[in-house]
Amino acid sequence: MVLTNTEHLEKEMKSWTTRLDAKKERIASVRDLVDGVVIPTNRIVEALERLIKPGDRVVLEGNNQKQASFLSQSLVQVNPKKVHDLHMIMSSISRPEHLDIFEEGIARKLDFSYAGPQSLRIAQMIEDGKVELGDLHTYIELYGRLFIDLIPSVALVAADKADRHGNLYTGPNTEETPTLVEAAAFRDGIVIVQVNELVDELPRVDIPSSWIDFVVVADKPYELEPLFTRDPRHITDIQILQAMMVIRGIYEKHGVKSLNHGIGFNTAAIELLLPTYGESLGLKGKICTNWVLNPHPTLIPAIESGWVESVHCFGGELGMEQYVAARRDIFFTGKDGSLRSNRTLAQLAGQYAVDLFIGSTLQMDAYGNSSTVTKGRVAGYGGAPNMGHDPGGRRHSSEAWYNMMTSDDPLARGKKLVVQVAETFQEANKPVFVESLDAISVKDKANLAVAPVMIYGEDVTHVVTEEGIAYLYKTDSSAEKREMIASVAGVTPIGMEHNPKSTERLREKGLIALPEDLGIRRADAKRSLLAAKNIDELVQWSGGLYTPPSKFRSW
Amino acid sequence: MQSAFLFPGQGSQFEGMLDYLPKDPIVSELLEESSNILNTTIERLHSKESLSTTTAVQQCLLIASVSTYRIFEKEGVIPNFLAGHSVGAFGAATAAGVLTFQDALRLVSLRGELMENSYNDGYGMGVVLGLDEDRLTEIVDSFFEDEHPVYVSNRNSPTQITLSGSKKGLEKVIEYVKTHGATNASLLNVSTPSHCPLFKDVSDRLLSELNKLDLGRPSIPISSNRNSRLLRNADDVKEDLAMSICYPVRWHDAVNLLYEKGARLFVEMPPGEVLTKLANHAYQDVRALSVSKIGIDDCLYVMSH
Repeated sequence: MVLTNTEHLEKEMKSWTTRLDAKKERIASVRDLVDGVVIPTNRIVEALERLIKPGDRVVLEGNNQKQASFLSQSLVQVNPKKVHDLHMIMSSISRPEHLDIFEEGIARKLDFSYAGPQSLRIAQMIEDGKVELGDLHTYIELYGRLFIDLIPSVALVAADKADRHGNLYTGPNTEETPTLVEAAAFRDGIVIVQVNELVDELPRVDIPSSWIDFVVVADKPYELEPLFTRDPRHITDIQILQAMMVIRGIYEKHGVKSLNHGIGFNTAAIELLLPTYGESLGLKGKICTNWVLNPHPTLIPAIESGWVESVHCFGGELGMEQYVAARRDIFFTGKDGSLRSNRTLAQLAGQYAVDLFIGSTLQMDAYGNSSTVTKGRVAGYGGAPNMGHDPGGRRHSSEAWYNMMTSDDPLARGKKLVVQVAETFQEANKPVFVESLDAISVKDKANLAVAPVMIYGEDVTHVVTEEGIAYLYKTDSSAEKREMIASVAGVTPIGMEHNPKSTERLREKGLIALPEDLGIRRADAKRSLLAAKNIDELVQWSGGLYTPPSKFRSW
Repeated sequence: MQSAFLFPGQGSQFEGMLDYLPKDPIVSELLEESSNILNTTIERLHSKESLSTTTAVQQCLLIASVSTYRIFEKEGVIPNFLAGHSVGAFGAATAAGVLTFQDALRLVSLRGELMENSYNDGYGMGVVLGLDEDRLTEIVDSFFEDEHPVYVSNRNSPTQITLSGSKKGLEKVIEYVKTHGATNASLLNVSTPSHCPLFKDVSDRLLSELNKLDLGRPSIPISSNRNSRLLRNADDVKEDLAMSICYPVRWHDAVNLLYEKGARLFVEMPPGEVLTKLANHAYQDVRALSVSKIGIDDCLYVMSH
């Protein structure tokens, strides 16, 4: 087809660089207050007022560990007459000012992943119409949308160090910074980074300066939470019993070599039983060799006794820096020696490349759907659903994955192991196993499109309680699933449905296992089995390389 | 670190309580002013006999908390947030400058009288430990009868919840929950069914009295009783002060809101340490102090460091 002359003309007049032109204009607007790429600390509010426009999509780095706290505290100080109606994109809403910017009229719309530390306020603000909710996401979904329909016009992130050119060292806490920066930098957005210090030479470059527009030295170092530190003193005998069942009845039974553990005391107990109970079963090298998890201090004894081959991390953990650097064979580290973490890649690895995900739940229905929501609170998801599901796109096989195959159909495939651990009752006599999830009432109250279910029953392969293990993957029948869950659900309303006869039948068919079926004596489940019983013993295992944050030092 | 001052409500009073306030001329002045306004002596006001009336209890609580707050104020120690439980909300509103002390004292006197005169001995309150709000509400709804009304009232913590209503209704619920999951349940020694719809008329009357006053804008935001929102203007404070008595006090949420806003230091005004214990129990990483327990000097020290 030949274009007519007018069509030609219109085509020539259309600009294909509007985004770049707009970016240049914004950068020019702060020329008088910056020195190269450096925004003076005391002029950050003014700079933000010029660089951010009303209605902008702004991705603000706040995840469950590292917070761009100086930038969030500065953003809340901008004049709402100049900067308003922002659409905030945040993986974690953790700090008061993350929601204060909505109260002040600076931001209006919100897409996020996790809001645990602000879950009451966010529920109230949705109810009061102060926050226009986009949606709740898992981490990977939110990162994915940064490249599709939530492309940011501005990225506000945090790094440890920068040089004069804007090269960044993000070090052990690289986390999601490269992902957020990439989405803005390569779409002509503005990237502003707060750094703890400006230096002449960086230990290594985690993000190159060509991705960065401005750096600002923060008034104090970015906030960092030691979220994955679990003091073994708080591990209970019941958690130890459950850990023994998991090691025998799941890890050993299916040959689980690669896995993720979350922050629960349940999984901390498993980590601390590997060098003792696991060793006595002769399982070293056969299970738990390749991990995707943060540098958990409770993994130190297993690493020291030679259980662990590799660990890839979502983020760092305060106090573990020296230990990680000294165990270079185990962790992903840079040329400088320090840890390199990456939340996006670790989440992807946890989704596609590991045999097993295990997590605790607060509520589960009769079909294995589980949720950690509390009524009147909107907490979101974080990363658990990414790892706690069976990714249908997986094609590679591993022993454990293959072991989940229950049919001899020529097209049959394996399954990711998704394990849910729960004690049958939480505090206040609240049964964990219930007829209907609180998530449904939260959906109605907060006007969500879908009920905030953390892990769907269709993905759960195993449920572990203090009563036993239900091997849900072995059945396709929902009636049988319900029976299996009931038989390990204790005296909860769901548990009361089971009758001893069916429990016997389920045991014989191998659909459920009680501790005695696994050769575990309840009386043996004692704290004395833990490789370390307190933080001090973890420090000793590390040869003094682990330096716990002061709030965990009690000796 | 952000801080919040907490003002206790009914239940914290004890005989002779006003003798145990911090020694300071500001306190003595306020006590004298109070006895002039009320036309009684302090001895009589906080006597055992007098404290058997809701009115005197509310008066004493207001005097104790506000007089102590005045010392902090004089020392320039101002918290980021305030919250008061039930009648404690009048103390918080006074501290924030919404009400003058004189108006607050008159209002709590009226509130006490209205509460006392609304219902006879057949009404009161109870407390249930160990059951959560959902379960307790289900049970209470199933026992509700028009002639023996009973309601779930204050959410002091997720598992410490009060009931209000007719004694018959309360007794039935208490007897039932004792064998159905509660770790403890008992009647409280009060004859006022507070914080439930039975006090709608008291709310209306308080609102009309409050409407006559010239209220100040809160100088410090207050976490509300009724819906645990942060109150930043006089009308919202007024509404909460009036309506609180016919709605449950969502105390746990009110404090949770302050926690999410960043408050990690809580100081409870006299008398007592009920709210201190609730805060310490609810959060591992907060510091909650009671002036009655550790003394004003230590509280001043912690607040200014």
